[in-house]
Amino acid sequence: MLNPTSSRANSSPHGADEHVLTAEAPSFAFNPTDPWTQTFQRGLELAGLKGKKVYEVGIGTGINAAFLLRQCEAAEVYGSDLDPRLVELAERNVRSLAPEQADRFHPVKGPVSLIDTDEAHARIAQSDVVIGCLPQVGDPTDPHLSAFREAQSVPLAETAEAKAEDHIAHYYPWAMFDTYPFNSVGLGLNEALLQRVRKHAPEADVVMNFGCRIGTRIIMEMFEANGYAPRLLHSQIVRQDVGTDISFFVTLEKALKGTGVEGDFVCEFFADEKGETPLSAREAQQLLDQDPQTPIYHLVGVIHGKPVPA
Amino acid sequence: MNVSQTVNCTGLSAAPTVLRIKQALLRLSDRTSPLGVLVDADCDHKRLASCLGDRAGSVRFVPQAKRTPIYEGAKR
Repeated sequence: MLNPTSSRANSSPHGADEHVLTAEAPSFAFNPTDPWTQTFQRGLELAGLKGKKVYEVGIGTGINAAFLLRQCEAAEVYGSDLDPRLVELAERNVRSLAPEQADRFHPVKGPVSLIDTDEAHARIAQSDVVIGCLPQVGDPTDPHLSAFREAQSVPLAETAEAKAEDHIAHYYPWAMFDTYPFNSVGLGLNEALLQRVRKHAPEADVVMNFGCRIGTRIIMEMFEANGYAPRLLHSQIVRQDVGTDISFFVTLEKALKGTGVEGDFVCEFFADEKGETPLSAREAQQLLDQDPQTPIYHLVGVIHGKPVPA
Repeated sequence: MNVSQTVNCTGLSAAPTVLRIKQALLRLSDRTSPLGVLVDADCDHKRLASCLGDRAGSVRFVPQAKRTPIYEGAKR
């Protein structure tokens, strides 16, 4: 596992010398030491990426790109990000973390939403596998999402708006992705990516990392509905990020109350890190209302999607 | 009957379909015409209508062919 904030990293796949790593991870980037990243990288190890051309949507700090090149022995790694600062950061970090493989990293420069540029399309078309870990919670300040939350009489956490402003990768613009059916449960951005990959690289596999707070089953359904056969590669229980608003999940549960299908959809949080005490989103929110520092946990899962032939 | 707006619910199971309809009804600008709800051809309309209660009259279900091939044995 590559960990840029530790003083030492694992040895290379061939047992070469350890490196002292001091990669950059500024505040505008997703924290590369987060357990989400650890879970994703374990899933990538299990995905059989040796010799494959891999495109990462949302390249972030470049920690995964370096991991793909060094640990997974990917042949080539492409990548892009909505935040152009991150692509430059990723290049520096890949040169630092995987110096011997850095010439096989080919990021797409400039801001790229999902894969929506000609250069990104061209790279995607060359790729064997597309990977990504995209936001699954709509921007709490989105007017449509706010109206839905207010209709269920669910208050917004005090910290939610501040979080939305300081991190563009934390939430996604919910209304912008409302043409995608699975946007109803926060998967609109992920479904948009699946449809784009299906169009531009119809034979490419996908490996995506998800917070399974809405349950793993419905995420699998999204893959199936978009023509991919899903398989859970790896999962791990992680602590819910302190301060991240979970009112979206509470809103989903409350909107189903009394419909007769509320048993079909229950959010999956836990009171303990072993996952032995399940909590609904409403129960989790009650604990957080009593003490915002209460540790709440949920599953993170890495899902491999194989395209189903038309 | 004409519909004022449509919302695509193909590929969704019952619970997320109900959520999507409830979300769309909040945005319905023309409340004189029903909301068109695109659903899979094998969707259980009656069950969905039951889930919506008194809002069921505000929607019309419009069956669609499946949008993508699904591998054999996959559950929707």
